[in-house]
Amino acid sequence: MRLFGRNAAQDALHPLRQIRLFSSLSWRELKVVQALRHERQYLADEVVFDQGDEGQAIYAITEGEVDILRTDGGQVLRLARLGAGDVFGELALLDQAPRAAQARAHSDCRLVVFFRADFMGLLETHPKIASKIALALARHLGGRLRQANAGARQEGHL
Amino acid sequence: MRRLQPSGAGPLAWCGILLATTVALYVFQHLLWLVLPFLFGLITYYVLHPPMQRLMFAGFSQEASANITAGVFSLLLSVALVFMLPRFAAHAVSAQETGTRYLQGGLALLDQTLRAMEGQSRFMREAHVADAVSSHIAAAGEGFAQERLPALAMALAAWMPSVLLAPFLAYFFLRDARRFQRFLARAVPNAYFERTLHLLYEVDRTTRAYFLGLMKLTALDAVCLAIGLWVIGLSSPLLLGLITAVLAWVPYVGSILGCVLVVMVAATDFPGTPWIAYAAVALFVAVRLLDDFVFMPLTIGRSLKMHPLITVLMIFVGGAVAGVAGLLLVLPVLGIVMVIGETVSIVASDPRLHARHAHARRLRWTSVTRDLD
Repeated sequence: MRLFGRNAAQDALHPLRQIRLFSSLSWRELKVVQALRHERQYLADEVVFDQGDEGQAIYAITEGEVDILRTDGGQVLRLARLGAGDVFGELALLDQAPRAAQARAHSDCRLVVFFRADFMGLLETHPKIASKIALALARHLGGRLRQANAGARQEGHL
Repeated sequence: MRRLQPSGAGPLAWCGILLATTVALYVFQHLLWLVLPFLFGLITYYVLHPPMQRLMFAGFSQEASANITAGVFSLLLSVALVFMLPRFAAHAVSAQETGTRYLQGGLALLDQTLRAMEGQSRFMREAHVADAVSSHIAAAGEGFAQERLPALAMALAAWMPSVLLAPFLAYFFLRDARRFQRFLARAVPNAYFERTLHLLYEVDRTTRAYFLGLMKLTALDAVCLAIGLWVIGLSSPLLLGLITAVLAWVPYVGSILGCVLVVMVAATDFPGTPWIAYAAVALFVAVRLLDDFVFMPLTIGRSLKMHPLITVLMIFVGGAVAGVAGLLLVLPVLGIVMVIGETVSIVASDPRLHARHAHARRLRWTSVTRDLD
């Protein structure tokens, strides 16, 4: 056992540490979150989820890039290109509304997936961890809202 | 692009669900040595899961919580066994004698009732109903004791070691259920992944709701029956209430058996006062009504969310295909098969998911053959 520096268990948690949603969690708290995760690998151009799908999970990128695409009137618009540390599909945590956009792997990527029900369970079993994640999620959504407002202003809607 | 959400399972899928349930019951009947400990392990797991969640809430890891919960449960079980075994052993010696006494008490009450009815009805008197019924029951009881009882006792003795597996299974369910869920989800292609997670969650939710509902229903039944039997004046009302509430796990047959058991005890303990046995029957009818109209909808009824007609039909099918084991298992098995069947039918009828899976396979093929052209 090492007294100083990171040990093997902390190395295993490192990819999770890079995800912005979990950046405020301690190593012990990350270990709890790690037990809930599912790891998936996607090839470039593979669809992660479709616009209109019922959202059941939130995704975080540990490697690679993912495009968020929206089809409007037959035209495909790229809303964002997300990289390592970013999360997407986060609205599934708040409600079970259909996905607002399609997520498609831009490059080969490795994703960490958290199922909605597991997150809801976390609220009951570990409220401190859940509140930290909820705060990070609120900040993340606030950022998205500001971006959307800025975009609308540029287009002269506001 | 707005995708149409697939609707629920159609009539074909429902036929498949009912058929799969029937086949599963038939197979389970032949694997009772495995199914029963699994079932008891699952019930123990769902009962122990809330205290384990509380430990996790207090900051313990899942593994530590599972170890503490299972450890405390084993300790309590051992203490209970240490206290109960000597009593049980003392009663087991006289079990046959006690059983025969209660049987004779019940038969005496039946004979007394039939003769009283013969006194009222000329038709019954001329048909010698009391004598005919008594001789039939005596012959059936003798045949049962000589032919069926040894086989039944042997089967119970053979199951006992496997039932002891239940606490071990419960411990591993507590410790590794999430790991097993992740292991199953890993085997699923990306396109079906989210739906599979949802399916696993729904199966867990349905079985948890069913078994926790069953435990609550048993406790409510046991308390109501115990209070009623105590008011009537029968001995050991709590034990009798508990036994009859557990017997009620087997739909219809279990309740009748429980009623017969209590009537036999009442008739033996109070041979000269048949109204006590009749009061016990009235109590059973009242608790049955309470069960069907109040307790069941509050506990199990909400967990399975299926049409009452299908439930009743499948209870008959379960009994016909797999006997008492079928009656005991039909509702939880139907609940689980229903969730799996509905989800699989929705996934199977979604062309977009198949297209996405085919696309992913093509991408994988291209990726592994890139340098081979």
